[in-house]
Amino acid sequence: MSEFKLRKGKEKLFLALISSLTFLTVLPLLHIIFTVFEKGFQTLSKGGMNFLLGTLSEGGIGPAIVGTFFLTFLATLLGVPIAFFVGLYAYEFPNSTLGRWVKVLLQIMLEFPTILVGVFVMQILVVPMGTYSALAGALGLATILTPYVTIYTHEAMREIPSTYREAAYSLGLTRFKVLIRVLGPMAKRGILTGVLLGVAKVAGETAPLLFTVGGRYESYSISLTKPAGAIPLLIYQLVQSPSKADHEMAWGASLVLMLIFLAMFIPLRLSLKEVKL
Amino acid sequence: MNAVETKNLHVYYGNNHVIKDVSLEIPEKRVFALMGPSGCGKSTFLRTLNRIIELREEAKVEGEVRIYGKNIYSKDVDPIEIRKNVGMVFQEPNPFPHLTIYDNVALGVKLNKLVSSKEELDKRVEWALKKASLWDEVKDRLGDYPSNLSGGQRQRLVIARALAMKPRIILMDEPTANIDPVGTARVEELLFELKKDYTIILVTHSPHQAARVSDYVGFLYLGELIETGPTKKVFENPEHELTEKYVTGVLG
Repeated sequence: MSEFKLRKGKEKLFLALISSLTFLTVLPLLHIIFTVFEKGFQTLSKGGMNFLLGTLSEGGIGPAIVGTFFLTFLATLLGVPIAFFVGLYAYEFPNSTLGRWVKVLLQIMLEFPTILVGVFVMQILVVPMGTYSALAGALGLATILTPYVTIYTHEAMREIPSTYREAAYSLGLTRFKVLIRVLGPMAKRGILTGVLLGVAKVAGETAPLLFTVGGRYESYSISLTKPAGAIPLLIYQLVQSPSKADHEMAWGASLVLMLIFLAMFIPLRLSLKEVKL
Repeated sequence: MNAVETKNLHVYYGNNHVIKDVSLEIPEKRVFALMGPSGCGKSTFLRTLNRIIELREEAKVEGEVRIYGKNIYSKDVDPIEIRKNVGMVFQEPNPFPHLTIYDNVALGVKLNKLVSSKEELDKRVEWALKKASLWDEVKDRLGDYPSNLSGGQRQRLVIARALAMKPRIILMDEPTANIDPVGTARVEELLFELKKDYTIILVTHSPHQAARVSDYVGFLYLGELIETGPTKKVFENPEHELTEKYVTGVLG
């Protein structure tokens, strides 16, 4: 009897320990969301529309918001088509040497230090062009986006039961048509999930932009070959300034960035459950 | 005329010898049933007849498969052209879930550019659905997705998808294994209609189904062709003891 009590006591103790550790783990996330909301909201309500639309000297982060959308869009345009075809290749030729390597290499790319991506793009674009540019920033982001889309494309294709593959080939279709016209569209939900996850990820990236995009906070002009702004980069720069006003702007920008991220991420996570064929 | 002939056909999956020296003749515009217990190589054999077996990288085929006299494994033959003439229906009713009923039937015709106008395509789709005796059930909802159809309807849709290509031969891999008895009866009725124009090669694990629907039959056991001939003869007067055991249900 006493052994039973002892065991029950142990179980309760263990459960309490695990629960508190779990809470400690998610505490930083809750803290970040709460603090960013609290401090950012003050800036946002004080500045109003001017904060969202104005230039930096007018007390706004408009060009940075535009820059973030512009860079993310460009990165998607550059990265997604390539990633889609690489994913198809890895699916269709899993036993080829390249097909086997590409999976391993992409897994590494997924975890690769993003600052090194920035250094890489600086080497191949910024130095030869002699200027920071939106193109360089977008290339950096695309490099980070690509493995997400590729891996999700590959996985989504692999989830298609082989009977559909046989059915498509049995209609006398070429390999290209089977992949592009039949199986690819069948996997579109899975592929789209990868695209959105990748986009949500790169929209908040800072490191690949540090040496590539340059920053633009006083004008709205959009050009591939000229520097562009981005919210994460702006936050980084504002926080380094000693002025209290700049810190307040950084909080406001953080809130905007977090809202953009959550707006993409939450619906995506909720819909993930139903991603199946 | 024989629609299909195999000569000394062997299939290996790696070191696994699954089809052993099968030579048989399948006459034109008849239903030929290949029967045998599960795992005896029926599906593998069927997949050599349109070279879909080649989707499995480890598969190796030796010997000849002649379709209307032409060896489809000779070097100058394009498997894609073979598949346009040899349609296939599968064990799992597998219409493409992301395509509408109409698009499922139209897909092969459209992507192979077999028709030149939308009207012709419409006609071809209607013709194929009528041939598969599905038209009356779906004509008002061609834009629906196949998930709303019953298993038996889905299987007839897949038959329509194959028919739309106007093949000469149709391969059927246990087409009623996964549908209910009513659906099974309708598919079996359909076979009697279709054999007027097509050669049908059906794989089944049920000797009863083979007896019901086929004109000629082959009995495959552990990769070897034990016996083949007119269905009536094989069932009433089998030459081989194994065949007799199988058709009387002694052999699983």
